[in-house]
Amino acid sequence: MRLLAIRLLNFRQFRGDQTFKLASDADRRVALLFGANGSGKTTLLNAFTWALYGKLSDDVESQERILTDSLWAETAFGVSIPVEVDVTFEHEGREYHARRSAQVRKAGDAQSTPVSSLKLWLVERDGSSKEEGAPQEKIESILPQRLSRFFFFNGERIEKLVSRRAYAEVKEDIKTLLGIEHVERALKHLPAVDRKLSAELKRHGGEKAAGIQTSIDDVQDQCVALKDEIAELESRSVEFGSELGEVLDLLRQHEGAGPLQSQRDGVVTDLLGQRNELDRLLNERRYRVATKGFIAFTADLADQTLSKADALHERGSLPAPLKRDFVESLLQQAECICGTPLTDGSSATRHVQEWRAKAGLAEVEAAWQRLRGDAEGLSAARQDLREALDDFGRRISELRDEISRNEERQTVLDGQLKDLPLEDVQRLEAKRRDLEGLIKTTEREVGAKKQALATAEAELESLRGELNRAAVMDELAIKARERLQLVQSVTQALTEILEIRSEDMRERLDRKVKEVFAEITIKPYFPVLNEDFELGLFQQTQGGEVLPVPKSTGESQILSLSFVAAVSELAREVRVERHVEGELHADAGHYPIVMDAAFGSLDENYQGAVARALARMAPQMVVLVSKSQGMGEVIRELAPHISQLGVITSHTTNQEDKSEVIELEGREYPYVLTRDESDWAEIRVVR
Amino acid sequence: MMDERTEQLVVSELSQEGRILLKRVLEIEREKLHLSAAAPTIADEILVAVKGILP
Repeated sequence: MRLLAIRLLNFRQFRGDQTFKLASDADRRVALLFGANGSGKTTLLNAFTWALYGKLSDDVESQERILTDSLWAETAFGVSIPVEVDVTFEHEGREYHARRSAQVRKAGDAQSTPVSSLKLWLVERDGSSKEEGAPQEKIESILPQRLSRFFFFNGERIEKLVSRRAYAEVKEDIKTLLGIEHVERALKHLPAVDRKLSAELKRHGGEKAAGIQTSIDDVQDQCVALKDEIAELESRSVEFGSELGEVLDLLRQHEGAGPLQSQRDGVVTDLLGQRNELDRLLNERRYRVATKGFIAFTADLADQTLSKADALHERGSLPAPLKRDFVESLLQQAECICGTPLTDGSSATRHVQEWRAKAGLAEVEAAWQRLRGDAEGLSAARQDLREALDDFGRRISELRDEISRNEERQTVLDGQLKDLPLEDVQRLEAKRRDLEGLIKTTEREVGAKKQALATAEAELESLRGELNRAAVMDELAIKARERLQLVQSVTQALTEILEIRSEDMRERLDRKVKEVFAEITIKPYFPVLNEDFELGLFQQTQGGEVLPVPKSTGESQILSLSFVAAVSELAREVRVERHVEGELHADAGHYPIVMDAAFGSLDENYQGAVARALARMAPQMVVLVSKSQGMGEVIRELAPHISQLGVITSHTTNQEDKSEVIELEGREYPYVLTRDESDWAEIRVVR
Repeated sequence: MMDERTEQLVVSELSQEGRILLKRVLEIEREKLHLSAAAPTIADEILVAVKGILP
């Protein structure tokens, strides 16, 4: 989606008919609009979401006042005034024109929320246009409403995007952007197809096949139910985890409990690392014993083999490819193995004599050397194994001691925090314990359900094998079985694709957020997007420990902006890569970022860095800023990328002379105009 | 084990018919992604696709 223009007609402060072009290209991706506080920047941001989805953000006050107040005041009772917002945009090579309109009729003193309607036209290359039959659905297919918060946002409130409560929603929302949601949906719909084909097989496949298919259906039902239960439990566990995170953040920020909590964070992080290392060592030792353990029992075997071989070697009869004494015996008997007489001077005798020269000692010696080498190697391997197992034993024992010491330290710290004579800390500690208990219980339940699911899936697999082998004579049944197998193979492939994509997306998003965040921040913090899509901020101490950092509002904003920039870039990359779904248009995955006060409460150096990162990563940006937010670092960073520049002039009825101008590209433009007849906003195009 | 698996590898292991169906299923899902109430229609559309691939 590439924005081309926005037009407003009597929409809130924007009295009359006003248009601002937004067209951009790859080199100049930014449309920048300046406006004083209260001039209408947030309204302009909301004009996009109102046009596309009929919604205003929650922070817009008096949402029912959609018509310009001054116009409402001038309107006679019973008269209707139109309100419209048009957004023109390009999507996948086609131009669209969306218009939301409402007729606001004055029936009383106060405005009431009018009913609005959306129209959408597809503009053909020759300029003619065709109206879309289901405009809202079409808009949803281009940019679903729930994703719009990544692209149309108020920078001062964007930290909510990474608040703990938002993780589950964010995780779901970005699935669409990153090409995962439709794979998930396919996996929900394919069982229904499977069931329809199964019914055909049951109808035509005879008694045995029908019986097996009925069992398959039952087990499939069990699997679906178990998967739903697991998803429910996992989502509950994520919620508990988020809540626990909030409690820990409060403890970290608490004046009395902060230092103890910080120590506990260190101990918990150490314990986590140590337990993982212990698991790794135990697994490695198990593998070594399973693959090389037999060597431990070969001590006598090697000695016995060597002593027997010594004796054989002395007698010269160690097995060799061709025994010398065997050839000798043939010559003595004067008859070859093939029955040819071996008379003196005959060619046959000469031939056998040549074999005698070749056979014998050299081969015996070689075989002997090989055997000796192998036997001696066995002894060295036994020694290596013993040393490796000793080493494993020592390291495992040390780790267990460390774990035990840290568990004691954690218990002591838990006790100290619990006993702090601070009521709020005691309350938080009690909550922490409850939540940890709930998480453990839920995880155990998930484990049990997963085990049951694995058993059911194994049974399903075996029943399917049985069905494939069952004799089916009817042609329709044979066809149904082939189709069923096709659907099952695709279901299996999609299950694996979903797993691969989800992990790949998380890893890539994690890398990108880290890159962007590092570009912006001056602090030694780094973000981590974990498997539950929780975005946390961490710091590595001088001792190498990785500890969570409580996020300030500013850091949360930077983190959110880094996340938006990373999602925006990844969405584009992913759409271009998805060849399985067929060829996509070159601008697939392009979404504009429209932001109000993106640089809100950030320091100037951060404002510049955020502007730089966003300009580099977003395919198109519409930035709405005040003079104080945008005149310094921001405009310096964005200047080379600006395609459209404008000012929202604030007309006010204030009678004091507080008019202001803004200087842009060597000219002055009115910024605030006082002593006007009404309060309204006017868009002026600078470039 | 999972680390070594790639999407391309998974797709290459499918039969020719499997690859066609996979592509079609994903196309249908992408087209109907915004329609939350379309589940029964989607299953029918996929079934038609299956019968088209294995007539």
